[in-house]
Amino acid sequence: MRWASDRLAQVGEFVVPLSHAPGDEWRTQASVFEEIYFIFLALGTAVGIVVIGYMLYNGWKYSASKGTTELDDPPVLGELPRGEGGGKKLFLSFGISAVIVITLIVWSYSALIYAEQGPEEFEDNMVVEVEGYTFGWDFIYENGETSTNTLVVPEDHVVTLEVTSRDVWHTFGVTELRIKADSIPGQTATTWFIADEQGIYLAECFELCGAGHSFMEADVIVVSEETFEEMYDEFTETGSFPDPPDDLEER
Amino acid sequence: MSEHGLPPKSSIKRWLVTTNHKDIGILYILTSLFFLIFGGTLALLIRLQLWTSGEFILSGSAFGQAVTAHGLVMVFFFLSPFAFGFANYIVPLQIGADDLAFPRLNALSYWLYLFAGLLFLISFFQGGSLEAGWTMYAPLNLPTYMPNPGASTVVGALLMFVASVTVSTINFVVTIHQMKADGLSLWNLPMFTWSILLTVWMMLIAFAALGAALLILGADHVLDTVYFTEVEGGSLLWAHLFWFFGHPEVYIVFFPALGVMLETFQTFTGRRLIGRKWVILAMILVTLQSFLVWMHHMFLTTINLEIKTLMMAMTIGISLPFDLIVFAMIYTLIKGRIRWTTPFLFNFGALVLFIIGGITGVFLGAIVLDYEFRGTYWVVAHFHYVMVAGGTALFGGLYYWWPKITGKMYDEYLGKMHFGAYFVGFNLLYFAMFMSWEMPRRVFTYHTGFEAYNQMATIGGFILGASFLIMFYNFYQSWYRGPVADGNPWEYSRTAEWATDSPPPLENWEGIPNYEKGFLEFVDRPEGLTDGGHGEDHHDRHPDHASIWPLTISLTTFIGLAGLMLWGEHIVYNTLFIVGLFATLVAAVGFAREDFYAPMPDWGARWPFEGIHKNKFGMWIFLASDIVIFGAFIGAYIFIRWGYGWEAWQTIPPEALPGLVNTFVLLTSSFTVILALVYAQRGNQKGLVASLIATFGLATLFLVIKSWEWNYLLPEAETLPEATIALFTFDWDPLIGTEGPALDASIQHSTYYVTTGLHAIHILIGMIALGYLAIRAYHGAYLDDEQPVENVGLYWHFVDIAWVFLFPLFYIL
Repeated sequence: MRWASDRLAQVGEFVVPLSHAPGDEWRTQASVFEEIYFIFLALGTAVGIVVIGYMLYNGWKYSASKGTTELDDPPVLGELPRGEGGGKKLFLSFGISAVIVITLIVWSYSALIYAEQGPEEFEDNMVVEVEGYTFGWDFIYENGETSTNTLVVPEDHVVTLEVTSRDVWHTFGVTELRIKADSIPGQTATTWFIADEQGIYLAECFELCGAGHSFMEADVIVVSEETFEEMYDEFTETGSFPDPPDDLEER
Repeated sequence: MSEHGLPPKSSIKRWLVTTNHKDIGILYILTSLFFLIFGGTLALLIRLQLWTSGEFILSGSAFGQAVTAHGLVMVFFFLSPFAFGFANYIVPLQIGADDLAFPRLNALSYWLYLFAGLLFLISFFQGGSLEAGWTMYAPLNLPTYMPNPGASTVVGALLMFVASVTVSTINFVVTIHQMKADGLSLWNLPMFTWSILLTVWMMLIAFAALGAALLILGADHVLDTVYFTEVEGGSLLWAHLFWFFGHPEVYIVFFPALGVMLETFQTFTGRRLIGRKWVILAMILVTLQSFLVWMHHMFLTTINLEIKTLMMAMTIGISLPFDLIVFAMIYTLIKGRIRWTTPFLFNFGALVLFIIGGITGVFLGAIVLDYEFRGTYWVVAHFHYVMVAGGTALFGGLYYWWPKITGKMYDEYLGKMHFGAYFVGFNLLYFAMFMSWEMPRRVFTYHTGFEAYNQMATIGGFILGASFLIMFYNFYQSWYRGPVADGNPWEYSRTAEWATDSPPPLENWEGIPNYEKGFLEFVDRPEGLTDGGHGEDHHDRHPDHASIWPLTISLTTFIGLAGLMLWGEHIVYNTLFIVGLFATLVAAVGFAREDFYAPMPDWGARWPFEGIHKNKFGMWIFLASDIVIFGAFIGAYIFIRWGYGWEAWQTIPPEALPGLVNTFVLLTSSFTVILALVYAQRGNQKGLVASLIATFGLATLFLVIKSWEWNYLLPEAETLPEATIALFTFDWDPLIGTEGPALDASIQHSTYYVTTGLHAIHILIGMIALGYLAIRAYHGAYLDDEQPVENVGLYWHFVDIAWVFLFPLFYIL
């Protein structure tokens, strides 16, 4: 079992390089998610088809309407319950499925460590506090200014989010960037992300928080480093971000 | 056979007074099907709303209520009671018993369930129901953030449901452990009975935790305490309490369905279960481990990585026993003679759906994927594939046992049509949710792009809903015109329920079921019935099957709770509470005084609980659940105090002395209650009455000191609630439209008053029992049967021990 999981882990590393020693290339949360999701989906589909296919095959093969099988020791009414043999086969199948499940999870664990800690080579993480309220998001930057329902960040830059809530439980998530963190009153959950493509992304609330839950959205605007510097300067001066360039794509 | 005081089935009165397990089973099934239609209608409303991405028929608030009620109704008021309809009907038959151990308590659980459901329905007419999702996350579940008055009523309804479950749990634990036919050991129990046994053990602990969470939530609603608004951890406290219940609840809902699958797979393949003992061991493992995985619902909160990793490992661990069970069922197919009847189609289908639900669950177990799936339709799709797979198996169970329950056969062709429509509708509905997994849960509008999947799901939902019209039509036809089914309509069935008539006679068997020779046979009933050698002499007496008190208690509790949860909103509610409270006390005394005879078999194979009287055994089981409740309250206190800063926390009582005095008072009362038992055993009436009165007196002293302390402390905690003062000074005017009571000074006050208040209520209940015992003892009771004195004594010791834990926590540390 150990051997099998080691081999499989190596295969995994070949397909999805997941080592992140300092100085290595970094990966976005989105690409980590996509590749792990793909492997799970492929294996899950394969296992599902094999197991359900095997069920259907046996259901067809031993159907009474075909009249081919005779029971050698049919159960009778009132017998004390007892089992049938066949334990060996049972444990073999159980063992194989256990190996698949455990391997998958253990292998995905290295990605978890990465997702928890973030890439280490970035010293100058930008930190933004995210405060949810019914029904919107405040983004508090390091300059102390607050931007409501608009988060502007530079591309290719590690951004750390410290997420909390002012009233009830929300969950901050940006689907396209594959980031999410619970927004809980009195607690601060931390997550990070790197956006490697400019554009306007959609942030939504993922925990039912009241009648306006469906409308609790914000824009995440990813712009080039220079544009960001300009916008941030104006933000520091006036307390609100200027409009982003018109050519940004909605994502 | 006469019905022993029970009116005929055609009489409505019978269904109000019956305590027979088969009648109760039918009532459970019918009521749960009503809630299926209610929850299903809500689901169709949700699906209609999501047909377009914009706003449609429901407002945001109405949608929130629909989503919340759909979840709560389906999980609490449909799935579990549906399964326990079968458990009521089938488990006594499978183990060869005449009825459950406590037939009146069984009726009580049913009526509590029904009235809990009614209370829930009423909440919609009180200016809006709860809209916080079935998980009821704090602090959205509080009036501050969600002021619908009906939300408080929902908390009361759920509390009443927890009471129903607790009563039922005690009954099934005692029944299955103590009423098995001679020669039928625990190991030999049929798989459905095994699944129910493990389910009730899980219920015992899980529902007590939910009960504690709801009691605290109720206090926050009615007494304005601040547990869940406490910012240093109120939200997390709710999540921990809820999921400690909530994850085992998944297995509580699924296990009975698994039991049905394990039965039907054997019957319709003509094969015994492959690896039977491993399947049982796997289920026991799941039962134990179900309490160690709850934080996987909280991976995105601020829990640290080490604990997340542990919970992840536990979660994978708990999926593996299910692998084994699934493979055991698949291998049972091999070399069988499979008959594709409706029950088997549903159960085979359920296994297919459960496999898909299981595989997609592994995705959620990988934390890094869960980070993205959290709060999306992936979760919705996954748990519907699991939970409704359970429902699918239970519908198969309804077809399987229909001939046993009604004595009529249903139409196979219509049954198969139902399955066809059901299965297609199911997969259209829930698979579409996997495809639209990037959509957040519980939104009533969404972004374009998900429309195709949502419309696919809506079409599937309506097909699924419509398929039940076929089922109801089929059963209607069968009931009035179906061919008669004999005792055993299924070839290769093995279990004892098929060895009696369809439907079985009132007391199930002509003779006494016996497995001593390794197979079921019926031995003659002895002349007159024995009572299990418990010292009573009832040889000529026939068991009772009717009592009006279960219905009465439930009705009065319903009235009282409806009033209590909205105390202070309007004088009507205050009146309802007071009337309900006193009526419940009267009804409880009526219940206790009724001479109801429900004999236990004296032949049961009872390991490991042999030689314990059923009442005492039941009391122990109840105390076990009460331990969990106190444990949850103490855990909540420690959790909040830890978050606040253990040392920074001010203990509320300025002096430990009154508490210390009270500790000695209670310990002394434990001693006097033992004296009472000794005097009862010796037949010394004077001594018995005197020690009971002494115990009562000490309890009164405890409460006097307690209330002096409370009053002394109360000025700090603002004042007594206006409504309460008004009540005790008989000044009724302020009762109209007063605000709720105000214990809201601080979290320290909240924890102190609520926890010691819970204990004081236990003391009060104990005093009512002691007073009742003392009065009856004065009239000469208990001298030849000291059981009630011993059982109340057990309860009393427990209340004393609970104080021994509370005293240092709230006075000294």
